[in-house]
Amino acid sequence: MKKLFFLIPVFFSFFLSAQDRYTVNGIIKDAENGETVFGASVYFKNTTIGLLTNEYGFYSLTVPKGNYTLIISYMGYDEIVKEILIDKDQKFDFELIESATELNEVIVVAEESERVNIKTPQMSVAKLNIGTIKKMPVVFGEIDILKSIQLLPGVTNNGEGSSGFNVRGGAVDQNLVLLDEAIIYNSSHLFGFFSVFNADAIKDVKLYKGSIPPRFGGRVSSVLDVRQKDGNSKRYALTGGIGTISSRLAIEGPLFKEKGSFLVAGRGSYMHLFLKLSEELKDNAVYFYDLNLKSNYELDENNRLYLSGYFGRDVLKFGTSFSNSYGNSSGNLRWNHIFNDKIFSNLSLIYSKYDYQLEINVVQLDWISDIINYNLKYDLKYYINDKFNLDFGLSGIYYNFHPGVIKPTSETSPINFFELDEKRAFEGGVYINAEHKITNRFNLQYGLRLSVFSRLGGEPLTIYENDQPVVYNEILGIYESGTIIGQENYDLGESMKTFNNFEPRLSLSYQFSENSSIKASYAKIAQYIHLLSNTTNVTPLDVWTPSGVYVEPQQSDQFAIGYFKDFKKSPLNLSIEAYYKTIDNRIDYIDGANLIGNNNIETVILNGESRAYGLEFLLQKNTGKFTGMLAYTLSRSEQRTLGGNAGGPGINNGDWYNSAYDRTHDFSITGAYNFTEKWTFSTNLVFQTGRPVTYPNGQYEYEGMTIASYDERNANRLPAYHRLDLSAIFTPNRKPNNRWKGEFVFGIYNVYNRKNAASITFGQNRETGENEATRTAIFGIVPSVTYNFKF
Amino acid sequence: MKKIFIYGYLVINLIFSSCTDVVDVDVPYGGPRLVIEASLDWEKGTTGNEQTIKLSKMTPYFDDYSIDIVQGASVKVINDNNNSVVQFMDQNNGSYTTSDFVPVVGQSYTLEVAYNDETYIAKETLTPVVDIAKVDQSTENGFDKNVIEVNIYFFDPVDEENYYLTKFQERKDLLPTLYDISDEFINGNEMLVFFEKFNNEDTGEQELLPGDIVDIELYGISKTYYNYIRLLIEQNGDVGNPFSSVPAPLRGNCTNPDNPDNFAWGYFRLTQVDRTTYIVE
Repeated sequence: MKKLFFLIPVFFSFFLSAQDRYTVNGIIKDAENGETVFGASVYFKNTTIGLLTNEYGFYSLTVPKGNYTLIISYMGYDEIVKEILIDKDQKFDFELIESATELNEVIVVAEESERVNIKTPQMSVAKLNIGTIKKMPVVFGEIDILKSIQLLPGVTNNGEGSSGFNVRGGAVDQNLVLLDEAIIYNSSHLFGFFSVFNADAIKDVKLYKGSIPPRFGGRVSSVLDVRQKDGNSKRYALTGGIGTISSRLAIEGPLFKEKGSFLVAGRGSYMHLFLKLSEELKDNAVYFYDLNLKSNYELDENNRLYLSGYFGRDVLKFGTSFSNSYGNSSGNLRWNHIFNDKIFSNLSLIYSKYDYQLEINVVQLDWISDIINYNLKYDLKYYINDKFNLDFGLSGIYYNFHPGVIKPTSETSPINFFELDEKRAFEGGVYINAEHKITNRFNLQYGLRLSVFSRLGGEPLTIYENDQPVVYNEILGIYESGTIIGQENYDLGESMKTFNNFEPRLSLSYQFSENSSIKASYAKIAQYIHLLSNTTNVTPLDVWTPSGVYVEPQQSDQFAIGYFKDFKKSPLNLSIEAYYKTIDNRIDYIDGANLIGNNNIETVILNGESRAYGLEFLLQKNTGKFTGMLAYTLSRSEQRTLGGNAGGPGINNGDWYNSAYDRTHDFSITGAYNFTEKWTFSTNLVFQTGRPVTYPNGQYEYEGMTIASYDERNANRLPAYHRLDLSAIFTPNRKPNNRWKGEFVFGIYNVYNRKNAASITFGQNRETGENEATRTAIFGIVPSVTYNFKF
Repeated sequence: MKKIFIYGYLVINLIFSSCTDVVDVDVPYGGPRLVIEASLDWEKGTTGNEQTIKLSKMTPYFDDYSIDIVQGASVKVINDNNNSVVQFMDQNNGSYTTSDFVPVVGQSYTLEVAYNDETYIAKETLTPVVDIAKVDQSTENGFDKNVIEVNIYFFDPVDEENYYLTKFQERKDLLPTLYDISDEFINGNEMLVFFEKFNNEDTGEQELLPGDIVDIELYGISKTYYNYIRLLIEQNGDVGNPFSSVPAPLRGNCTNPDNPDNFAWGYFRLTQVDRTTYIVE
């Protein structure tokens, strides 16, 4: 609250001195296809005045009257230099031309534009260019944004074949994954083998690992902001690829006489067709597909409308015995409006749904579950002058959760109809944030988000004896469900429980030389919905649950400090960051918790706390014949879950234990080398400490079988994970006049065929009776060929 | 339910050249904790007087023998209603037997084991079970339409909360197959449980063939035992399954009131059981 009062006099002082200042604003686009450019540097030469364009390519600079040289620059494009006289408010739109000299020469990126990255207080963020992502070698040649971000420091996942990703020792549900601002609940296809993002439809990817700006809320560990391409507004174009596992096709073109454009992209896998060749497996199917749509229309120079959509599906079928399908779908209508040259606003209306269906014919069961949300967001940014910018806005999300309906598929089915309670909730947020240049060297960003969450009625609330949904049984030494003593009914719209949180966000940067700076940040974030998962890997059976009477919101505090340097002599940049993050109310499950079909999950959970801290090191080379990056993270992520209201010692005797995503060392190198005009070679080398697992600590006999005894949770580790990938991109003819451009990508994933353990399980061999440890490895050596084309 | 995911996952495995290998791993050893297998099962149609309790100690996971027999313990079962005591006699091979046990449906009993200056206590109630209504075989009920499965049918009582354990063992096999069943989704209906075997070259498993003899048991169990056996079955059957739950210690009901940390593994169960045998045609 106090922060807001402080802002008002500051605000007025700038306003009063604005009289002899004028504003230059406009939109930066790509000359070839009309796509807006996010993150282009726009600055005045020989001054410290400049900024980066926003997600819609917009910039606005307010400067005192005078003669200036305006420079626009962006990696991979020719710089634009324009002399302008600023004596009134003006609008300048620019179109950047892709550099033709990218292969042979080292591009010198002007010093001032580099400094914009050194100066900005925003830290813990990585912006990945889709062109860079496309060069990285990947399994099966399938470009995958989620696999590429794992090469950055601080980002890992739970092994091949597991869904989602982990940021700074955080869980999979703590990442806010947005596709054109629509929330995506499951970011992977086929249990984590592929991501839901079709690279042909994607323009930009930005990952915030910490120092999350106040305009984002609702997830405590990260924000993955993925933006789709708008579509070529100059001419029709076709892009696509034919690969080992899937193929893609994207069509884009102008609409409304170049005042708009559209993009339709589809991708589908077909490896299940190979199953038809096998007698045994021909009735099985495993496939995924997705469809991305986008269109936009420029009403006039201050108004633009966008319509985006996404629909994706995974299907798994095992004969006629069982079939499972799930996927995300979303739709989004946005309106950009520019008020008086200095205020850029965006209004979004979003619909998003994640659903899955499981049909098991052997027991005649049909299980359907989904989560739907309706979201309204209004974001504004006021570019007051070169020293001070303000952004503010609000967001409201209405959630509808259907955790599961179990239906018998026939009259003779042994299954009874059962419906888990439908849940409803509302999440609101209002924020304000200031970007304040205090001195030429010292920049500050400070803001506040106020979030509120209300769990709405329309369902009964179970009441437990002594208000204990889960209770410690002293005699048996285990946690058990509490005794239900009644129910309280809440009407639709009535609030069962409301939470609100102040979430201050602060970051600062101090530039102590031309090319280096030190930054620090603090962010407090609340998370109100949680993904319940008791398995070692996230599965589609995992259910999203809103906070309420028995489930508290997660609350995180993250501190980070970093050192950033751009080397002058060579095009290298370095960043070193250290972070410390604590999260209150992190749920963990009692031993043997059964979540499937459980209408009262509060009977199997305990409230704990988690903490993660680490040191991240990143060295990048972005220009020249050889480009790449080297990332290393040293970190720890642990959890403690005390008995709390339930009594008893808690999980693991109330001691700290490794969280499932703790990786002590995480090292990766990725590089691409432009050997000749026709050939580019690239490589990845990854090394990570093995994941924590629970191992047996003895055996005994029961019911004629050998039983494994398990002890401390997550006290052991899988063997270290490491692999080397190589790929070569061959571009047969590079005549610039050729309309058809094609390239072959030859890749080998896991070149030395290391069987990295995705899991090690223990059991008795049913034929020999001996105990065995079985390692499941997902990918051995995998060669692939993909043909990509552009027309 | 989880079994379904294993099959789905196997399908993906085949496509993605993933594989399972047996590997050497170092595991810790938690010490020679006592194991009490006190399964007092009253077979329907018999007196249920003859019962056996097995005592052993936990051994290191990869050791050749999983049983370290316990001798010299004192084992008794007390009827909580009339306090009558049944003493189990040490056979000097880890088994303790009696022919004097009197099973009563719905009665609670207490087990007392004294060994090595420690006393272990467990309490349970004898749970009844319905009869197996019918046993037959088919090929279309199971996952693989080309192999035979043996089916059993029983009617779940609608007015009670019921839990069952089914045990199938083909006489040639080394190990039984166990299923835990709760009536939560099937209350009051006729339940079908099938037992199917697949041909698997890697593990040597073979489908059910005419002439094979299958021993079948249907136990009525308590809710506490259901939670115990469900976890045991899940943890011991989930080989190679990445969707398995985080493994947890299998705490049974055998406690050590004077020294709680030194509890025993295993369980003291009291069940009624319907047994039958089926010969595959």
